[in-house]
Order: sequence, then C-alpha cells, then structure tokens
Amino acid sequence: MTTITEAPAPAPDGTARTLTYVKAFNEGLGQVMREDDSVFVAGEDVAGYGGVFRMFEGLLEEFGPRRMVDTPISEAALVGLGVGAAARGLRPVVDLMFMDFIGVCLDQIVNQAAKMKYMFGGAVSVPLTITTASGAGLGAAAQHSQSLEAWLAHVPGLKVVMPCDAYTAKGLTVSAIRDDNPVVVMLNKVLLGSKSEVPEQIYGIPLGQAHTARQGSDVTVVALGRMVGEALTAAAELAAEGVEIEVIDPRTVQPLDTETVIASVRRTNRVLVVHEAVTFGGLGAEIAAQIQDAAFDYLDAPVLRIGAPFSPVPFSPVLEKAYVPDAARIAQGCRRLLERS
Amino acid sequence: MTQDKPANTAAHPISPQVVKDLYERMVRIRLFETEAGKLMEAGKLPGFLHLYVGQEAVAAGVMAALRDDDQITSTHRGHGHAVAKGVGFKEMYAELYGRVTGACLGRGGSMHINDVTLGMLGANGIVGAGIPIAVGAAFAARYKSEDGVAVTFFGDGATNIGSFHEAANMAAVLRLPVLFICENNGYAEFTPQSKHMLLTDVADRAAAYGMPSVIVDGMDAVAVHRAATEAVARARAGEGPMFIEAKTYRYYDHQGVKGLRHPYRSQEEVDTWKARDPIDLLRDRALADGTATGAELDDIERRTRDEIAEAIAHAEASPLPDTADLLLNVYSG
Amino acid sequence: MTDVAVEVLLPKIGLTMQEGTIDEWLVPTGAAVREGDVLLRLATDKVDVDVEAEAGGVFHPVVPAGTTVPAGTLIGWLLAEGEQPPGPGSTPMPAGSGSLGTDAAPSADGATAFAVNGAVSLSANGAAAPSANGSPARTGAGGRLLSSPNARRVAREAGVDLTAVRGSGPGGRIVSEDVEEYLLAAAASSTAPVPAEPLGDPIIPVSPLVRRLAKERGIDLAHVRGTGAGGRIRRADLDAATPAPIPAPAPAPAPTPAAGRQATAPRPGDVVPFTGMRGAIARRMHASLQEMAQLTHGYEVRMDAVVALRAQLKEEWTDSGLPVPSLNDFLMKAAALALREHPLLNAAVHEDGIHLHQDVNVGFAVAVPNGLLVPVIEDTAALPLTELARRTKELAENARIGRISPAQLEGSTFTVTSLGGYGVDFFTPVINPGNVAILGVGRLKDGVEWVDDRPRRTQVLTLSLTFDHRAVDGAPAAEYLRTVETLLRRPLRLLV
Repeated sequence: MTTITEAPAPAPDGTARTLTYVKAFNEGLGQVMREDDSVFVAGEDVAGYGGVFRMFEGLLEEFGPRRMVDTPISEAALVGLGVGAAARGLRPVVDLMFMDFIGVCLDQIVNQAAKMKYMFGGAVSVPLTITTASGAGLGAAAQHSQSLEAWLAHVPGLKVVMPCDAYTAKGLTVSAIRDDNPVVVMLNKVLLGSKSEVPEQIYGIPLGQAHTARQGSDVTVVALGRMVGEALTAAAELAAEGVEIEVIDPRTVQPLDTETVIASVRRTNRVLVVHEAVTFGGLGAEIAAQIQDAAFDYLDAPVLRIGAPFSPVPFSPVLEKAYVPDAARIAQGCRRLLERS
Repeated sequence: MTQDKPANTAAHPISPQVVKDLYERMVRIRLFETEAGKLMEAGKLPGFLHLYVGQEAVAAGVMAALRDDDQITSTHRGHGHAVAKGVGFKEMYAELYGRVTGACLGRGGSMHINDVTLGMLGANGIVGAGIPIAVGAAFAARYKSEDGVAVTFFGDGATNIGSFHEAANMAAVLRLPVLFICENNGYAEFTPQSKHMLLTDVADRAAAYGMPSVIVDGMDAVAVHRAATEAVARARAGEGPMFIEAKTYRYYDHQGVKGLRHPYRSQEEVDTWKARDPIDLLRDRALADGTATGAELDDIERRTRDEIAEAIAHAEASPLPDTADLLLNVYSG
Repeated sequence: MTDVAVEVLLPKIGLTMQEGTIDEWLVPTGAAVREGDVLLRLATDKVDVDVEAEAGGVFHPVVPAGTTVPAGTLIGWLLAEGEQPPGPGSTPMPAGSGSLGTDAAPSADGATAFAVNGAVSLSANGAAAPSANGSPARTGAGGRLLSSPNARRVAREAGVDLTAVRGSGPGGRIVSEDVEEYLLAAAASSTAPVPAEPLGDPIIPVSPLVRRLAKERGIDLAHVRGTGAGGRIRRADLDAATPAPIPAPAPAPAPTPAAGRQATAPRPGDVVPFTGMRGAIARRMHASLQEMAQLTHGYEVRMDAVVALRAQLKEEWTDSGLPVPSLNDFLMKAAALALREHPLLNAAVHEDGIHLHQDVNVGFAVAVPNGLLVPVIEDTAALPLTELARRTKELAENARIGRISPAQLEGSTFTVTSLGGYGVDFFTPVINPGNVAILGVGRLKDGVEWVDDRPRRTQVLTLSLTFDHRAVDGAPAAEYLRTVETLLRRPLRLLV
C-alpha cells in the first residue's frame, strides 16, 4: 500500500483540467476508497452532511454508511476509533473539522497513534489519516484559525502534510491514506475554493519530498501551506526588481526534506522561512536550525523567519490581515536579506 | 449477525474444564506478579510496576470467555490481562527487564506489553486511553464482517475521564461489539472511590449511554466468567456494547509492592478483601464440588512456577537492545 | 554599548613597530560604535592597518589624526552613554616619542582623580570615568569583523584576507558578493599590475540580478551610469554599457584595508601627507640616494629560450597543478644564482666596510595602491623555480591585499623590480637601503638577430642594474649582468 506514483505532467496544450482544492481532495479520497475497501471515513457530519467544508460531498451516496460514518462530537473517541481500527488493519480517515480541535484528542494522536508501533516493538502499524482544516483568513477567530503543525511535527511517529494547492491537496491526501503511518493532512481553509490543474487519475505525491515551486538564485524562500502561493506572488513582485527568489514547498513538514532546502541555500546563500503559525517555536525555528547546522558556511545573512506574531488569531478582519503573513511581508523580508549598501 | 443467540450460561453449572482454566489463568497471573514484585524489590527491573494481584478473577473470568481473535485493550495495570490472554512469560519478563527479546523489543516496558497475534492490543500508560481504541477494534471487526468482539479493561478512576464517556457513547450509538469491563478496585491510584465520584456503583454510568450493565463479584472468577460469557454472546449477536462492573481489590499498592507510607487504606480493609482471595475462593469451591482435585490444582501451580523460573532465566540471559537501533519502529516503511 | 569606559590604545602591529601614526579617525567624535567597528586607520613604516573597536561605546578621541605616538599610548575612549570623557589629567600622554615601552599602558597616576579599584566612580563634577589600572581586559588590536559565514568560507577558499574587503551588507557586514567582487578586481589588477586608482565612490546601488548580469557580461559596474532612483543601476543601464574586460583594479581591490575605504583618489589641490607607507617610501628613497653612489647599467638580454621554455611548461603543466613560473620568476632565479658567482653585489655597506651576505635573499617590488612593498624570498637561489613561483605569487597577492606581515618584508640582500608590464624598457631603479644593487626588468619585446645578412626576430628585454659604486665597480657589475644573461639563454638550469 505504500506504492507511490507521481502524477504525470499536466497536459502541455493547456487543456489540463482545473479543480478546486476541496474538490481535488474529495476526488483523491474517493479514488482511494474505490481502490481500497479498507479505507473508511469517520467524523462529525462527514456522511450525511458531506462535511462542513463540502470535503466529503457525494461520498455517502457512493460508498454508503458502512464506509462513511457520522460520529458524535467526540474527538478523543473518534481518533481512538481510528487508532483501534488502524491497528486492526483498516485505513481510517478521521476528520477533525477544525485543526484547533486537536486539543481535545491530543492524547489519542500523540500518545496512542504516534507511539503504538514503537511501543509495541513494531508489532502493529497505524495507517491512520487525520484530515483537518487549518489556517486563518476567514474571520474564524482564535479557536478556529490556527496552524498547529509545529505541535504535531514535534511528535515522533506522526507525519504532517500541508497541501498548498488543489494538485497537492489531492496527491498528498492519496499518499497520506496509502501511508502505513499516522498522517495529519492539514488542509487550508482559505484555499478550499482555489483552483489549479489536477490530473483526473489517481496519483500520490511522495511524503517527505519538498517541491521547488520556483527556481531563483537570490533568496531561498521556504514556505508552508498557503504561504507557498504568497511566496510566488512575492516572487513575481521581486522579479520586477531584478530579484529572483527560489520558492520551496516542503509539502510534508514531518518528515521534512531538509536536503532540498540545504541544497538551495548553498546556492542562494540567503533564506527566509515563512509560515502562518506564530513565529516562536514554529517550523521556521527548526528549519533555521537545520540550515545553520548544515549550511552555516553558506549563509550571507541570518536565516529570516516570517510568521504570525505571538498572539491568538484575532477576529476583526483588519487585525487578522495584519496578523497573517502575506506576499508583501515576504517580499520585504527578501529585500531585507539582500540589503547591501 | 446471524449467529443464534446462545443459551443463558448462568443457568448451567460450570464445567470442570472451565474451572481448571479459570484457576490456571489466575495462578499464572498471581505467580507472575509476585515474582515480578520480588524482582522489582531486588532492583532488577527498571521503571514502574503496577501489579494486578488481587484482581485475578476479573482477567481470568473475562478472558476465558473470549476467542483468540477477540481483541482487548488494557491499562497501566495490564500484566494480568496479558497473562490471561495468553501472552508468554518469556516475552513479558524479558520486556520487564528491558531486553530485546521482550514483547516490545525492550521499547515499551511494563505499560505497553502487547501481543497483537493474540488480540492483546496493549497495556496503556494513559488512563482511559485504551477504551476508544477497543471501540475502533470492534468497529474493524464489524467492518470486516467478522463476529469478533473487543473488550476494554479500565478502573473506576478511568470512568472520570472524557475518553471513557466519549467511547461509551460512540460504541452505543454505533452498536459496536464492545465489552466495557470496569475493574472497580475502589481506588483511583490512592483516592478512594467515595472521593472521586458520588456513585456507589460505577455501572450506573452505563445507563447514561443507553448501555446495559451488570455488577459482579470481582473476586469470584466464576461469576465474572458467567457475566462476560453472556455479554460476549450478546455483542457477537450484534446487540451492541455492554458494561460490566467487577468489584475487586488491589492487594499491592498502586505502584510497586509495598508503598504504604501514606495510610490511604486500613489494614482491616485489606485483610477483609484478602479473606476472599479469588484463587482461594475458586480452589475451595472446586474441591468442595469435586470439579478438581487438590493434586490437579497443585500441579497447575508447580508447572507455572517452573515456567516462570525458566522465563526469568531466559530474560536475564537475553541481550539488551542495541543502541544503534534507537530509531527502530518509529515509523513504518 | 559598554557600561564602563574603555580605553583605546595604539596597537602594536608586528614585532618591530615602535610607533604609529593615526592616519585618520574613521568615526566622528561622539559617534556610537559597536565592537568590531573600524575606529581608525593606523600607519606604520611598513603597512597601513585598520584598527577596530574592542568594545562598543561612544567614541571620543584623545589625540588628533596625524599624530604619531608609541604603541600602547592612550589615543581615545569608548564611553558609556551619557558619560563624559575624562579630563586631560586622566589621559596620560606619552612624555615624548619613544619614552614609553612598546606595550606600555597608560600610567595609573593620571587617572587617580576618577578611578577606584576598577569600578566606575563619580568624580566631583559628576562624570563617570574608567579606572586606568582596572579597565576591562584587552587583547591587542582588533575586535570582531562583521562578516557572513558564507563570506568567510569564500574568502577562506580563495585565500582572501577579509580585513581587506569592504562590507556592503547590513551594518557593514561583509557578504560573499563583497569577496567575489574583491577577487574579481584583484584578478584584474594582477593581470595588469597598475597601482590602484580609486575611481570614486565604490558604493554602487545595484540589485543582485544586475550584479550577476554584469559579471556575466564582463561589465564593470563602476563604469556604468545608474539611472534608477539614487543612482541605482538598472538592467537597462547595463544594456547601454559597453561590455569590456573589467579594467584595472576598479572600485575595490582594496590592497590594504585602508585603501578599500579610501573612497577618493588624491585630487589636484590636495596635499598627500607623508604618513604611513608613503612617508616610509619617501624617507627610504631619499636616504638611499643621499647616501649611496648609485649608477645604472642597461643590458639587453635574449629571452627566446626562456619564452620557449615557458610556453612549453604552460602546455605540459596545464593539468599538473604546478605553477608555471612567470618571466619575473625566471629573472629572479637567474639574478639569485648569478649572485652566488658575484657575492659583491649581494652585500651591504657599513661604516667599516662592505659586508658580504651569507645568504641570497631576493626582494621583489610589488606595486600596491599608495606605494610599493618589497616582499622577500629567503634563500632564493636554492629554491626550485616552481617553489619560487608559488612563493612570489602568494607574497604578491598578500602584499596587494595588505595581508603581508612585516617579517615577510625584511631581510632582503638584493632586489628585483619590474616595470616591463608597464611598457618601460629601461629605468634607473633606486637601491633599497641595506642592499648594494637592484635589478630592473624591462619590457619583453621583439629584437633582431642578424643571421648572415638576414634579420631574424628574437625576444629581448633590457635589464637595468643600479649598483652602489662604493661597493661595486662598473666592470664587475657588467660581469654580473653577463652571468645573468648566460643563465637566461640556457634556462633549464633555472628550473632546479
């Protein structure tokens, strides 16, 4: 079940199909369910309602209540159900709706799902997928807007993926479900309606492999999730100024493809890490630390981190806009890194 | 489920085979635990040791009602469940010793002993955490159209934890084949039940989830076995989960053998419960009604002692894990 | 920012430095400096160096620029915020030049009005002052140079001394581009060793892209007029610029740290002071001509064999990693071997007579901005030519970037100087004090040899041997030149 097939290149004639992020996710999930009967979905409102973000629309109709299971609002029991079912050979997909809710089921994620294989001396695998919507930008305020990848990436045994567009939403979800480890798929709420080219057939995107979304020679920008798009916007702005930035999308933050980042930094000598999560203790800190470890002698400037300020996500749109990093801040950061008199 | 509903076994006398089976499971637990306690006091075992001594009737009574493909989840006090489910002494002692031949390759220790080939989905270091996992195991059985059941063991203290309530409700709502076995030993670690809940019978909580429940004498292996057999049959028949509260007692402290530095319970109370020791009770009864002879039961004990001595020697002779393998099994694949 | 005032003492650079001149204070009085910031340019008779602050603080000079003081003299203060400089009584100045030891610290006496056991105390007028006998620990000259790890790596790999590189990053940090630009300029200057002529403000506002394009197209940004905001060079400006090999040491070949920051060349009307190297050259050359009885022989030598051998080595050694000796290397080796046969030219004139040296240590003149340096190759005659070539190359580079140590400039017994690269055929070199002769090397050019009645093209150059007639007469000087020529005509001997 771990076979990964990278998607074929999009059609060169421009006829490639585009799909929204949420539909791409839905399509990938449906295709894996068709391919493998051991895959089922459980969570609140995933079946009858089709998911509050329409992530699971149409799946109940196709797969029936055996494989599309509505559950009470009981995240601990829900994830526990996933752990137990995974330990018994199924490939559960449990949906946590909002990432902020992991607080109420963290034990099952961190102490059970992540550690079971290890604690049991390798006797079981836990091929559990947890899907959840993360990210700010919709006025959902402090308890429905967080990006908590750093919490999860800190836990040995877990994998964490952060799709940045429709293409990766499908491919990473497929790979997450096929993977024999517990994988958290952090979908981004703001991106749900965003479109990109998505091949129709089923495809997986290898976990733990970063993708160079744009090549450039002046600054490496490592961007997580939605920040990939912001970085590409910043790249266009900077290109007009003669600055070419390289944008790296790790896609998977655990395991993290440090090699690709390091190789890029060795060429550009300047690096910026950007994520939606608060800067303090975020993935940026980890990536910065790894860079200084592996490429200290290649740095012409300190690694710059851009993240949210150290506060809960604010509600009022004006505050929220100021809170979440964007293309302008990324561009400004790059200019700062390149500053020379 | 199309299986016929079995007859009410409680009305039938227990067969001699079952009596000897229950006796053997209890003796195996008791001797395993007392030897483990001695090893710990001798400083030979690293880490924690939560001994099951006193509660043997519950593990033995339930496990004797299960098949190998039925799944259980256990607790931090999990040796009794593991032994009763058939996990080998060698793997268990070797794990307590932290040896690479242990049940968890020396990676888990006392609180993570498991044998998934026997349906033992692990002891668990987090109170209440095994309950939802059992619900998942039950879900898997039904998903695969199998008639296996899942049993989750937990203490009185664990019923104060959210995961118990969430899992109980979910099992009930999804009508999953789960047995909720509450081993009420009267204490949540060192806190008496009267101070951690206002109920006298934990079983009352099942009603909140529309789940039938029964209270049994947890010192009486036969009574536990009858209740479990009935609940298992019910679950296999697709009638949903059931809650069994077994009133029992923990002879040793929460952790280790003797830790009575703080007198949280009276000697009189301990003595009262010990006077109804589950092994003695079953032995007296078997000898009285002729289902077993003294020689047969002594033979069980002697064989068990030999097996334990051999297992401990094996554990002590086993190699330690190689530190080069520190990252073994963190991930699959 | 320091919380206790720190003294700035004139550092002692090298073993032989007795005194130094504060060429220029590089930070204004009252400016806040950080540890590692360059405080002043110090001129000694050998080299110019930049001296960095050992601590942060508000800078207050004690002596004005242009002052020459012994090493160890208090020359300034780094004060705490709001702190006043101590009064004159607390700033012990040397009683006179050389009256203090080279590593003498200021006397504690002068500061007794303020100091109590090394702690900062308040004087009667409320000013805090440092203790002279308990001031913070110091470790000679130099603090920390602001440079990026990548710049340090690139510099290390290229053998560049970072102190010679101008930092353009935030806060003056040297970044790798600074080193690369420095190397580029240095390479240009070594192919055409013209003394550096700073071409005005070397600070060119330019984007990385333009920098890269310029590098690719071989355009020297110093010669491109920027039309962007603040003179920023835009991509379009490059298109308008003539692609040309980067000329001479353009903006930044910073042969010494000082020159790297010296933004402007002397202009008509300026007074170029006799400080530092300029002063040393002036004194020494004047003394040389005053003291000695110098005259010069011109002597044309045939270089065909050397040129052919060199061409052959170039071809055969391409991938060997062996350094192909330059013409000058051949000439130095020839000069050195010839000195063994003519020891009178390898000598020094003292009052009691002519002292013939045991060793042959040939110095060679290297043009550097603001002057010239003469690194010395020890035991020159004994070195295989490859080793000689390696050393001359390394010493010349180090001299150009100001990384040469005083020891490497001492002990010459004879000197070779070349102006051939500048198109000079014949000249009258001035003897280095301490030597009795100096060999000038002229331009390699076509000569004519008559084979019967037919002219044949040859390669020749003119040697200009200046010698001190007090020690050497005209005939022996000419014999020496003939020996040199013989060696050059049969150059295989020079290889080993």
